[in-house]
Amino acid sequence: MKKYMIGRVIAACVALFLILTIAFMVVRLMPGSVYDDPNLAPEVVAMLEQQAHLDEPLLVQYAYFLKGVIFENDWGVSAKVEPGVPAFDILKRQIPYSLTINVGSLALALPIGIVAGTVAALHKNKAGDHVVSILVVLGISIPSFVFASCLQYFIAYKMGWFPIIFEPSKGTGMQIYSLMLPTIALSLSPIATIARYLRGELIEVLGSEFMVLARTKGLTQRQATIRHSFRNASLPLVNIVIPMFAHVLAGSMVIERIFSIPGVGGTLISSINTNDYSLAVATLIFYALISVLTSFVIDIVLGLIDPRVRLGGSSK
Amino acid sequence: MQEPYVLQVKDLHVSFKGQSGMVRAVRGVDINLPKGKTIAIVGESGSGKSVTVKAIMGILARNAVIDQGEIWYEGKDLVKATEEDFYQIRGKKIGLIFQDPLSSLNPLMKIGKQISEVFTVNYSMSKEEAKEKSLELMRAVGIPKAEERYNQYPFQFSGGMRQRIVIAIALANNPDILICDEPTTALDVTVQAKILDLIKQIKEERGISVIFITHDLGVVANMADEVYVMYAGKVVERGTCEEIFLDPRHPYTWALLSSMPDLESKDRLLSIPGTPPNMVSPPKGDAFAARNRYAMQIDLEEEPPMFQVSDTHYAATWLLHPKAPACEMPKFLQDKIRRMREEAQRYAR
Repeated sequence: MKKYMIGRVIAACVALFLILTIAFMVVRLMPGSVYDDPNLAPEVVAMLEQQAHLDEPLLVQYAYFLKGVIFENDWGVSAKVEPGVPAFDILKRQIPYSLTINVGSLALALPIGIVAGTVAALHKNKAGDHVVSILVVLGISIPSFVFASCLQYFIAYKMGWFPIIFEPSKGTGMQIYSLMLPTIALSLSPIATIARYLRGELIEVLGSEFMVLARTKGLTQRQATIRHSFRNASLPLVNIVIPMFAHVLAGSMVIERIFSIPGVGGTLISSINTNDYSLAVATLIFYALISVLTSFVIDIVLGLIDPRVRLGGSSK
Repeated sequence: MQEPYVLQVKDLHVSFKGQSGMVRAVRGVDINLPKGKTIAIVGESGSGKSVTVKAIMGILARNAVIDQGEIWYEGKDLVKATEEDFYQIRGKKIGLIFQDPLSSLNPLMKIGKQISEVFTVNYSMSKEEAKEKSLELMRAVGIPKAEERYNQYPFQFSGGMRQRIVIAIALANNPDILICDEPTTALDVTVQAKILDLIKQIKEERGISVIFITHDLGVVANMADEVYVMYAGKVVERGTCEEIFLDPRHPYTWALLSSMPDLESKDRLLSIPGTPPNMVSPPKGDAFAARNRYAMQIDLEEEPPMFQVSDTHYAATWLLHPKAPACEMPKFLQDKIRRMREEAQRYAR
């Protein structure tokens, strides 16, 4: 297991380094410059560019960037979005909001999705299964922003049960309360996906030979299902649920806009629009870091659940 | 009065709901399992052997229906038994060994736990006690270094070793009846022999009655006291091992024996032409008639009843009717049986 983990860590570091490089290059290769402003005198622009090492060749800029990131945790300073504020500080302030609705929506989606999927699998081709199937189709096909707008209109505006947009000023309790609707909006598609996959996996496991063996051992259907099927069905589910985190994060960019949440999503868009190099790279790296971390976690969790992965056995 | 049979199947009919109609998989099967004996059920794929034992175990697929018949065990008709009744019987009284040991063990659970959960769940034993019992069983079925193997996973076991584990699981409940559903099909030949020896040894040590399902007649000869030959959901011939091998009466049994390889034969093996009939609409008359070189007009019109050959030997073929023309089994098979007799005598001496 130790060897397996070390291997995964190295792989994650390599991936992260590559992403760092690509993100830097891609942002720098965008047309225009952060200081493209007709109101600034050319001398001023030249001076500003010199300060930010923008007059040097790309590789030298890259070296400065790497040095700052690795040795000083210096991700550069925002030039346009919040001039003069270090990119790291901006993200540090915004990440909690984004993470709250993302983690919250998954925490909501997991139990509901698992229950729905299990009900559907155990009542295969009966009423319960059909109800879940219809909800799954709706959940997958309705985009989260449409669902979010509906929630906003009916639940928040018409019924007045929730604040319409994020309330930053009235204390933590109010903040969390106002983040509930966006959380629900984001959890719709994960619920549907989890339910759909779990149903399929459980049905397959329930029909497998070792379930029959478990019953011929003298276990009741219920004992056999609990002891033998959930762990096996959860194996492919891990592959779905953990990357969902990165997926939901991407979806939350739009949701954050709809509910005026000061999260990372808005910053990414505005920093790219304004050619705010440092902030754009830092935000991209944040998203990349989440993705790399999730796939790292998948590998570890799969290793924990499946001895064949952990011990490096053959397929069967 | 002492009941001579531990298990009796009477006129069992099982159908499956299929897309093109009801599939009549088992169409009137009678089986008597004497205490402490081994019976073998032989037949090709789709002849209804597995369905019959699944009905006995109460593990038929959801779309299966038992149309009629009785399965008597300990004074109870298992056809009428509820799922709760089966919890007391399945595994605990009647054990089952599967065809494919590769897929019948849970890949994510330690071998030891898969055996010991029988003790912890069914008999509420403590973990230590269950482990002790499980290790005992693992040694009994011939697993070396049981202590070490206990904490390993199925993928670390070979096919033969896995089948031994499956046998150990079946034995953990100390059943009266052991059903072996083609237990050696997925194993290679040298391992097959060892598993068969193991089953034989277990049967003798524990006095278990065994139902042995196979399509391999060679396996039957070593194991069975009595043989049932099934075709298209029916028992077409039954008799002692000797009667079936040395004095077969049904053309299907002839065909089966002719397709069995032996060492001395220099001829090509005979295969049975055609395929088994579609069981959605089983043919009128004898189901084997279409593939039978010896079929008569009546075979296409009316189903043959079971004709008695001796006290223990029955066959369902019109050839045994007193008015049927005398019909000899094929020359090829006569030679083969002569060789088998000679060999049997050689061993007897």
